[in-house]
Amino acid sequence: MQKSELDNANPTIRDVSQLPSRRGKQAPVRRGPESKYDDLIFGKKQSSLGTFRRNVSSWPSDDEDEEDYADGFTQEPIDEQEIYDLISTISDPEHPHTLGQLSVINLADIHITPSPATRTAPDALHTVLVEITPTITHCSLATVIGLAVRVRLERALPPSYRVDIKMKEGSHAQDDQVNKQLADKERVAAALENDTLKGVIDKMFTTCTR
Amino acid sequence: MASSITLTPLQPFKPAVYSRAWASVPHPTLPLLATTHAKEVTIYSLTTLTKHSALTGGHSRSVRCAAWKPGLPSGKLCLVTGSFDATAGLWRFESEAKDSAEGEQLEVDVTTSSQTKTPSQQAKIRSGDDDDQSEKSDTEDDWEFTLVLEGHENEIKSVSFAPSGQYLATCSRDKTVWIWEDVGGSEGDDEWETVAVLSEHDGDVKAVAWAPDVPGRNKRAKHGGADVLASASYDNTVRIWREDGDGEWVCVAVLEGHEGTVWGLQWEGRARDGEGFPRLMTFSADATVRIWSLVEEEEVEEEGAKEGANPWSGGIPNTMRRGLREDWTCTAVLPAVHTRDIYSASWSGASGMIASTGSDGVIAVYGEGASSEAAEEKEDVAMASPGAEPTTAADVKPASNTWRILGTVANGHGPYEINHVTWCKRFDPGTERKGIEEMLVTTGDDGTVRPWQIT
Repeated sequence: MQKSELDNANPTIRDVSQLPSRRGKQAPVRRGPESKYDDLIFGKKQSSLGTFRRNVSSWPSDDEDEEDYADGFTQEPIDEQEIYDLISTISDPEHPHTLGQLSVINLADIHITPSPATRTAPDALHTVLVEITPTITHCSLATVIGLAVRVRLERALPPSYRVDIKMKEGSHAQDDQVNKQLADKERVAAALENDTLKGVIDKMFTTCTR
Repeated sequence: MASSITLTPLQPFKPAVYSRAWASVPHPTLPLLATTHAKEVTIYSLTTLTKHSALTGGHSRSVRCAAWKPGLPSGKLCLVTGSFDATAGLWRFESEAKDSAEGEQLEVDVTTSSQTKTPSQQAKIRSGDDDDQSEKSDTEDDWEFTLVLEGHENEIKSVSFAPSGQYLATCSRDKTVWIWEDVGGSEGDDEWETVAVLSEHDGDVKAVAWAPDVPGRNKRAKHGGADVLASASYDNTVRIWREDGDGEWVCVAVLEGHEGTVWGLQWEGRARDGEGFPRLMTFSADATVRIWSLVEEEEVEEEGAKEGANPWSGGIPNTMRRGLREDWTCTAVLPAVHTRDIYSASWSGASGMIASTGSDGVIAVYGEGASSEAAEEKEDVAMASPGAEPTTAADVKPASNTWRILGTVANGHGPYEINHVTWCKRFDPGTERKGIEEMLVTTGDDGTVRPWQIT
């Protein structure tokens, strides 16, 4: 990972004010089930398991839980903008800019299935697909960026969300290879036990202030 | 076979492990279950469904897998662990009642020690922080970390003992499979030698499994020994390995068909009619479970050759090695249930049923109709459909193959991914047929280990 030259010395950079945001719209009030992810979003060392433990300890559901689920159901669903806000603020490992500024992450390349607009059963699984556009086609750090995005979302989202990370088609020379690595749960778990790699990723998260 | 079954959750094993748990491996004969999680292994008693003991302090990274050494004398346990720290650990447990010659003694020990430990464990959970320390002092006397097997360059993903216990196979992200041989003079004399390093896979080797000691396996034991190993890989293939009679382990078949990482595999555990060679089940990131069968050709000719030479002698001429090549074909793809990676599947040696689970949190159970009665089975399915559970026979295309879905459960571990499923004998007070009735045990990202009653 130590390189004498940057992969792309002159990337195109977008001004923060040009990036997609919810400004001007009424920001949804965050409370109830969603506010408990705050400590995850703000804290770095906690594992996602710890935070969602509360939900799990009472499973399988009795009547009381059903009500809790019903409450969660009426909350604002997680949408693409919210995903964008979580990951566009991650720093590039090589440039002093965020993935949003470098257009590595784009709002149009975030897909949630089923769509947040659809009403779904409270225990239904959701899939978040994020297509990443590395700054140049042979960017050697694509895997690290993809890993950081996956880890960030897995920590921040409820456990019913499955995260799929892919290189945007044609954007990277070894698409399939990188995609397969990022989809491999066992490899991701092992990578996060590598202190060097973990350090790089934690550093990328320091700009995630939300 | 019943046209449908129902999975009913039983009380989860206590306490939960509170972090991602990878796998739970039942002891071949005793009422014990080894659950791998974080850098340790928790042993649960299947009699009380509570913690029996723990293996801690041997690995510097997560323990991914474990295997019980088969065929040990009474009162002794041996577990091998495979870790992301690239080593495999060998652990031994000696029953305190060493003088007892009774085969049941360990089971009794297991039961009593679990019962006496339970209250103190509950106290520890409540007391919180000093949990780790008190736990260590509690269990260090029991499990001894006796040997480290070093050699792999990266994470070990799977470990497996040959049925005799003579060979151990390990596999790793370094794309190799290692075969180790127990060369110790006696049990407990831990001396292991590397007898082979197999490096034909083009990607991580995710799992290894030895063929079980059934008549069909031994009938094919012509060239080398009877032991047959299979390996599953990130390169989407499965390979079959045998010893060639000269002490060399060679790849005798490559099974191609999966369109994603092959997460794992298991051999058929029960003897087949006509002593056919055991079939192989594989499961993959492509969300399918496949069954593979050996094409047993030239049976007559090989029988003839067998008469002349002792198949166990080392003097087999090289020209015969071509006979090691084996032809394997995919003979079934189980009906589609899963929408994401299948991380685990288990083939019951008792009932012949298969259970699968994975990223989508669904647990599915499949049954096979005897192929000679295929036509009848189709009718059965059609007739059973109206009265059956909506999740059972509805999606089966009768023409596809003889496997059909007997039952499914969604969200088996709530919203979490399920990493492992295994068939397991019941020994808890809830069963009237201890050691005979089978249940399923699932292990998930939520750190719980859940038994399921099958009715």
